Amino acid sequence: MLSLVVSALCLTVALCAQDITLRAPWDAVAGKPAKIATTGSGSATFYLLGPSTAVKRDVQLGQDITLAPDEVQSAGRYVAIVCAGSCANADFFVAPDKPVSLVFLVHPSRAPVAKTGLISGVAMPFDEYHNLVLTPAAVDFQLSAKSGTPVSHTVETHDGAAWFRISSGKSAGPLQITASMNDVVARRVVQQVASDPCNLRIKGERTAQGIEVETDPVRDCDGNPVPDGTIITFTAKGGDETSTVDAPVKKDVARARMSAKGPVVISAASGVVMGNELRLGGQ
Amino acid sequence: MSMRAPSLKSLLKLLSSGIVICAAAMYCAAADAALQVTLNTTKATPRQVEPLTERAVLRDYRSAWTNLTQALASNSLDPLNGLFEATADQWLTDAVKDQQSSGLSRRYLNQNHQVDAVFYSPEGDVIELHDTAEYDLEILDGSNTIHNEHAIVHYVVLMVPGAERWVVRHLQAVPQF
Repeated sequence: MLSLVVSALCLTVALCAQDITLRAPWDAVAGKPAKIATTGSGSATFYLLGPSTAVKRDVQLGQDITLAPDEVQSAGRYVAIVCAGSCANADFFVAPDKPVSLVFLVHPSRAPVAKTGLISGVAMPFDEYHNLVLTPAAVDFQLSAKSGTPVSHTVETHDGAAWFRISSGKSAGPLQITASMNDVVARRVVQQVASDPCNLRIKGERTAQGIEVETDPVRDCDGNPVPDGTIITFTAKGGDETSTVDAPVKKDVARARMSAKGPVVISAASGVVMGNELRLGGQ
Repeated sequence: MSMRAPSLKSLLKLLSSGIVICAAAMYCAAADAALQVTLNTTKATPRQVEPLTERAVLRDYRSAWTNLTQALASNSLDPLNGLFEATADQWLTDAVKDQQSSGLSRRYLNQNHQVDAVFYSPEGDVIELHDTAEYDLEILDGSNTIHNEHAIVHYVVLMVPGAERWVVRHLQAVPQF
């Protein structure tokens, strides 16, 4: 008699809790359909809250709830809730799909030659839905310069990142760097440029307009021509007077005109590098 | 030209929206006060985290969670305030918009984040954090609480230096580290 009354009340107000259980997927993958099994009967409201989703819809208990690919694109933790009078819930994780792109950070974009540990790179694999792929995987870093044989270096990702650090080469020119993981490839170029000038040599002569002075082709210690625009400072000392002129390197050579009537000693410098001294007699 | 006095209905509407804003602000202030974050950078490789960077990352990661909490509780994008970018920003924006359209909201209460920096790139342009976050998660459909749990969730976080602040670029929960 009592159960009949309870049943009647339940049917009337439809609020009686039934024993609902949810069985969440244990192997859900981003962007792939998934199913949540339910028990019970009748209609219910289904909620799904994930990193980038908040879904609410009607479902039938006792049937599987199908999660569409776009509802589980973001890797992370999801909470599924079904309410029919009372609520039941289950949480599950969506794992990233396979990597389809590599975020590849390389520094610097221009590197002076022959510098120890100057060039570094970091590669991070992401799937189609921009989820960071954390499963360890080998990243192959390949470095090839115009001169010299390509160098390969394989590093396994750890916590979703693989990195390298190398010294710059001895020759100026582009250094091609690729990071590849299976068929996913990312490419970067580091422009290796001459280092500081080395062994500055100057020559000069008096002319009707003054003293014409110029450098020999300015190169770094590995023989690479320094970039145009590198500043060479010429200094002329004569008696108590000193005059200084800055001149940029143009096509490997820096030129300057100085005025001094008496005997002078001319020198050149670039950064901390000094050149030879040039002695010229008076006019 | 005549000016109409506001109707009783519009006054009530104004009053109720004010109450909602006040309640959200009070909730957010309370949530912020209860948000604890500790950061350990001793495990970070290959680059060592400088003390100033450590303080900035801690400050900005804490602010990011404060903003995330406010955005998902109030269903507003305004609190995000530029502390999220790229994927993290997109995911949060999508979540807030979904919540707006479905009438849902979620609250993260009593948050405690124990964060380890595990990777700091050689040039300092990305830092990876492992956050073991503990909080009470409350999910609401309108004003009805439909779910309440005490959760411990592991997050893998990528932060990058912005113009003035470190910003969260990626926030991905994982079953374990």
